[in-house]
Amino acid sequence: MILAVVDDSFPAAWIPPYNTLVVAAGVASVGFAAGVVGCFAVLRRRALAGDAAAHATLLGVGLAFLLGGGRRDLPLLLAGALSTAIAALLGLVLIGRWTRTRDDAATAIVLGVSFGAGITLLSGISARGIPGSAGLEQFLLGHTAGLTAADATILGVMSLLVVGIVALFLKESTLVAFDPLFAAASGWPVTLIDYALVVLVAVMVVVGLPAAGAVLVTALVVIPPVTARQWTDSVGVMLPLAGLFGLVAALSGVAVSSAVPRMPTGPLVVIAASILLTISLLIAPRRGGLARWLQARRTVAAWADGRLLEVALRLDGDGPFTREQLLARAPGAAADSAFKRLVRSAAIEPVVTRAGTDAWRLAVWGRELAAERSRRVAAWTEVLEAAREDARGHLTIDVPSPEAILGAARMKAIRESAAAERVAGEARPGQPWQPGQPMGGAGG
Amino acid sequence: MTMSTTSAGLEFHDVTVAYGRRPVLWNVDLTVPGACLFGIIGPNGAGKSTLLKAALGLVPLAGGEVRILGAPLEQVRARVGYVPQRESVDWDFPVTVTDVVLMGTYARLGWLRRPGPRERSLAAECLDRVGLADVADRQIGRLSGGQQQRVFLARALAQQADVYFLDEPMAGVDARSQERIFRVLSELRAEGRLVVIVHHDLRSVAEWFDAVALIDMRLVATGPVAEVLTPENLRRTYAGRLDLLDEIGRAVAEGGRTP
Repeated sequence: MILAVVDDSFPAAWIPPYNTLVVAAGVASVGFAAGVVGCFAVLRRRALAGDAAAHATLLGVGLAFLLGGGRRDLPLLLAGALSTAIAALLGLVLIGRWTRTRDDAATAIVLGVSFGAGITLLSGISARGIPGSAGLEQFLLGHTAGLTAADATILGVMSLLVVGIVALFLKESTLVAFDPLFAAASGWPVTLIDYALVVLVAVMVVVGLPAAGAVLVTALVVIPPVTARQWTDSVGVMLPLAGLFGLVAALSGVAVSSAVPRMPTGPLVVIAASILLTISLLIAPRRGGLARWLQARRTVAAWADGRLLEVALRLDGDGPFTREQLLARAPGAAADSAFKRLVRSAAIEPVVTRAGTDAWRLAVWGRELAAERSRRVAAWTEVLEAAREDARGHLTIDVPSPEAILGAARMKAIRESAAAERVAGEARPGQPWQPGQPMGGAGG
Repeated sequence: MTMSTTSAGLEFHDVTVAYGRRPVLWNVDLTVPGACLFGIIGPNGAGKSTLLKAALGLVPLAGGEVRILGAPLEQVRARVGYVPQRESVDWDFPVTVTDVVLMGTYARLGWLRRPGPRERSLAAECLDRVGLADVADRQIGRLSGGQQQRVFLARALAQQADVYFLDEPMAGVDARSQERIFRVLSELRAEGRLVVIVHHDLRSVAEWFDAVALIDMRLVATGPVAEVLTPENLRRTYAGRLDLLDEIGRAVAEGGRTP
């Protein structure tokens, strides 16, 4: 399908499908590699450094064009782009080391200066009408229509090379990205690995220029990793997943742009990437917005259900109770809907039974449920007292059975230590307090 | 592997460290014997963490020299373990507890080699030792503070070092984790290793530590706990920091009690 679309973009000359196929494969590997490399830029919080490098590429493109005597040779132009991208990163490092400028300000300075210089140079070249300069502005926003099979092959091979390097040094990169201090203390050349990762990002930014352009290529490096992070808690999964998202974004951007005449690819690639991101931010399990919203609702509902049962058990001791009595003793926004659930439950296994128009009793099953919950709440309170960390690690809002989670043996030990602490507390008569000062817990 | 020599485990000779023009450690001359639990104690901003980082080569020395097990750091790096401050990393990082512990084996593996079955079983062993076997596959952000601190300790255990440096391992840790961590550290000492701990809680010093150094930019005093934690030394260390007077009083009172 993509083949057909890309074919349409070359109405002037018939392009053999072979060329289209190679361009598509090249762009796909660029997208994949950008996503993979971007993971470490994002995890190491170096995403903005990549953006500065990207904006610096234009200057290199212009310089290489002039040095090459006006030839529009893609490898030459990209080599120029890479050299100024790395020069920009070097500038960042030097500003950080020798001046007291903060990182974000340094990034903004390098980005602005190099981009300004690049635009000036390209405008100058184009104003002079130097032959062959017509397509240079395509590096600003990206345009893959003019790519030859040879160009695309170079891009694809470079991308796969970058992916190979990252895969090879996955262990070292993860270590440095997670805990540079520990890595340095155990003898790893952290600065070297850091620089290597940033240079790889620069290479990807340059390789991604034809697909996304200098202004937007960072998005191809940053958005897919953030998208992938929504779906996984493991670096090993995040990398290929980010690559996959990058591949899809790059290919769909390129395909759509070739269907629309004179449409730059960069913005389309970014739009495709952000659609994937938006979907992921919404529906990803656990980290996604929808999951979080549902979880928040479930939390409130579960707590309201439990509280209502507890209150009902207390009220039930004095005979039938009304809805109002119940809600007055278990206040909260979710209490009303919890009451409705309580009444509805009668259909399956009655928790409450009706004893009048607005008079309710706990059913046998309801009394069991409520008693069990009260027991669990009391037990967890004891865990909180005697072994706070156990409680913090395992207690959830639906109040699970502590024995089922911590084990009966551990619960017994906690109970004993809680009891021992109480005894010790009584044996030590208010030691840290002055006599006469009021002390809490004078018996209930 | 245990320490073969009975010489000093850690020596600072006239160590001075400066950030810019401002010194943070001033002519520290300190010798720590082998195989003990050694505390570095002092107020906030006294340069305690910097002292550890100086020993580990993580900050440049303005002057002086550090020797570990009688040798410069470069020669003994493989025998040194490190537990950084818990806040120094991003706990939302997509790795599991086991992944982090395995990082302790990376230096021994060297470039390119990946951890294999032997490293995995070592990691499991270390996790078991700190009581975290049941959360081995959990993402590290879904742990309590005390558990995270124990993950770092397990990673240091996986380094199988002879000298351990721990930076505030009890910060934000509850009593049960603290007890567990101190017990593991005591085991390390019993195995003949040196454990150097930056510590802020004066109350637990007398209970667990063999010897301490009181630091406030300069070395105030060093030696066995009972000799060093005197009201006079504490006053000299914490001088002018009134908010800590209360804590000092309590520490002195407890330090004076015989166990």
